[in-house]
Amino acid sequence: MSRIFGTLTILLVVASSVARAQSEPRLLAVLPSLGKTLDPAQVDLGRQLFFDPRLSGDATISCATCHSPEHGWADGIALSKGYPGTRYFRNTPTIVNAALGRLMYWDGRLPSSDLPTLVRDHISEAHFLQADGRLVIERMRQVPEYERQFNSAFGGEPAYGRILNAVAAFVSSLTSQEVPFDKFLAGDEAAISDEAKRGLAIFKGKAGCIQCHDGAMLSDGKFHSLGLNANPEIFQDPLRHITFRRFFRTLGVPDYAAMRHDAGLYCVTKVKHDRELIRTPTLREVSKTAPYMHDGQLPTLEAVVSFYNSGGGPRASKDARVKPLGLTDVEQADLVEFLKSLSGKPIEVTKPSLPAYQLRKLGDN
Amino acid sequence: MVSALLRTLSRSQLLSSPRCKLLVWCFAGCLLATSGCGKKDSATTETTEKAAASASDVARSSAKVANDVAAKSVTAPGQPKPNTTASDGTSSNVAVPNSTLDSVPPLGPLPEVPVPADNPITQAKVDLGRLLFFDNRLSGDAGTSCASCHDARLGWGDGQAISRGYAGTQHWRNSQTTINSAFFTKLFWAGEVPSLEAQAKSAITGNLAGNGDTVMIEERLALIPEYVDLFREAFGSSQPSFDLVLKAIASFERAEMISRDSPFDEFLAGDKDALSEDAKKGLALFQGKARCIACHNGPLMSDEDYHFLDLPQNKLFEKDPLRQVALRYQHYIRGVPEDVYRNADSDLGLYYTTKKDSDRGRFRTPSLRYLEYTAPYMHNGVFGTVEDVINFYDQGGGDEPNQSPLIQPLNLTEDEKSELAEFLYSLSGSEIRIQTPKLPEYQAVAVD
Repeated sequence: MSRIFGTLTILLVVASSVARAQSEPRLLAVLPSLGKTLDPAQVDLGRQLFFDPRLSGDATISCATCHSPEHGWADGIALSKGYPGTRYFRNTPTIVNAALGRLMYWDGRLPSSDLPTLVRDHISEAHFLQADGRLVIERMRQVPEYERQFNSAFGGEPAYGRILNAVAAFVSSLTSQEVPFDKFLAGDEAAISDEAKRGLAIFKGKAGCIQCHDGAMLSDGKFHSLGLNANPEIFQDPLRHITFRRFFRTLGVPDYAAMRHDAGLYCVTKVKHDRELIRTPTLREVSKTAPYMHDGQLPTLEAVVSFYNSGGGPRASKDARVKPLGLTDVEQADLVEFLKSLSGKPIEVTKPSLPAYQLRKLGDN
Repeated sequence: MVSALLRTLSRSQLLSSPRCKLLVWCFAGCLLATSGCGKKDSATTETTEKAAASASDVARSSAKVANDVAAKSVTAPGQPKPNTTASDGTSSNVAVPNSTLDSVPPLGPLPEVPVPADNPITQAKVDLGRLLFFDNRLSGDAGTSCASCHDARLGWGDGQAISRGYAGTQHWRNSQTTINSAFFTKLFWAGEVPSLEAQAKSAITGNLAGNGDTVMIEERLALIPEYVDLFREAFGSSQPSFDLVLKAIASFERAEMISRDSPFDEFLAGDKDALSEDAKKGLALFQGKARCIACHNGPLMSDEDYHFLDLPQNKLFEKDPLRQVALRYQHYIRGVPEDVYRNADSDLGLYYTTKKDSDRGRFRTPSLRYLEYTAPYMHNGVFGTVEDVINFYDQGGGDEPNQSPLIQPLNLTEDEKSELAEFLYSLSGSEIRIQTPKLPEYQAVAVD
């Protein structure tokens, strides 16, 4: 009898630990290292290219136009500006720690493990840089300083793959530095304030943030709906709506014209229950990247906390875990303090002075 | 100055003199213009009168864009074979033309505008196409329209030696006039595409021209309610599509970009006073000693064939980094072998399409109609004036041994050169100006 009870107890313990492993969030952890060494010559070249508008079709905007160091490597506005003549319909995320995540874009359609493809997508997309890669190559070849730099970084002349790899190397180099929370995790009790420590407890406990914002990146890398209504500006501004329509049409969403909500993961999977599901973003550097959410409709961290506290948005797609939290004002403030501890010191990059076009000897290409 | 005065005089004569109703001068008649009419039998007279009626019908309909243009035959009015051996006494030293000049299609009035079977012209399409032609939103950054490089004030070219191109780029070829482009079956300088529809597509999406994204364009138009209505009216389609954009623009060009009222056209129609004496001498030179007609023949004054003239290089390619970018880019995207790309120093013309060495530098003969308004000339805009062009041909073109054998030193006298220029200026009618239309605006959808 006791043996039977003993066996049952063991089974129950095993079962419950399995269940816990599936449902319990991963521990928060210090920022992982990149796991590879970047070639400094490629990073230097990539930095220049990142700031160079000659990577865009009309040579007026660069990667840095929307991923600006002054705005936490995002653009500080609700909805991204997009290529001239267009306006985008989503918020620009930071690219700090981009190489350490799992998926890119709010709909997760590209993997972080392949940043060169992400760069290619940005250069060629009609709503981003709208440039033909072959034209970009010829522009680079018209800049002797670039020819020299490509040679030293890649052992050859400017080529599209090299352009993409150089920008990807620079983006990979942008990781959080000296993050208070990481120091705290490493044992420095004084690295974050008492308010932040209380906020951490709320994050993991009463507020339940950790259910999705878990692990070293404070993101489960998965897709959820918070029940948000769409940012009305997307449909009030025809240029944003045009880009919205073109984007979802291009990705094969059949009802793109009638849609008044971001299709989210659905545009990748075309599975009905993936509608309106948006990739959980990292919370690292979050205090520098206002406004918030995939369409930038929440202006401050306080607004975000308040949004969750009141149980999220009204849409039927809302994740069941998003419920009223009953946080006091002090608890909300503590939570914000914790979120602020997730940002490292500013990653300052001196805007490079860009090398100019020069004449070549005609016929010597 | 003198030639300008003569042109003005010739115009005023054209306007004040009553139209000659006796008969229509066709090619043989033109040659004999100063000595009266050639001998013809009654059958020939009847044919030419029909041709005249047809030509003037077309002229009238092109002025007001009639719906019935589309329905008409696209066949050119019959023309007698040129009689280049006739001595007309207009020039003391007309060279005896060789057989090449004998066998070319004669000059003549432009036929009716050819219209593809799948895109008949309607007024609704023309009206829509006119708007689209001027609409920047057909380009990537919504900053460039067809009219940016095909500007009414600049002969529907852009007045530059080499076109300005899309923002952030410089083009590598001269912007050609869109006037009478409807008659060509090979569009662009190297005849890369076969129709106005295809030309518009290449121009809108070309990265040095419009840099437009076709789906973005469709979605832009979809949020402009007035366009949605106009597309429905013109095509019965519930949504604007890129293909229909092309069809509308082509219809507009076929209807309103036609010039057939030049002094030479009046002359062909029987008004022997429409050309000055100098211009008539120039015509004889054109068909004789100067050999222009070897390539500039037929009603369009283009054989639509490809020739290598060994033109001087435009120095812009040595002076402007972005022109060098454009030239290499063209080599690159057209898929030339690497050694050709590495040595790229000039526009290879037809070679880009055929990859045959013998096609290097060959370009499709342009029309000469409307040229008064379309300087500078040549695919690389290297000549600023008609006189420069004449001098180039007079000296026998360039030095390259493989330039077209049709090009030989001409030994034209100064008088002959100016007579030839006078004739060339008679090929331009009144300037075609179209008011920039007011464009319809975006409208946001109603949000619940």
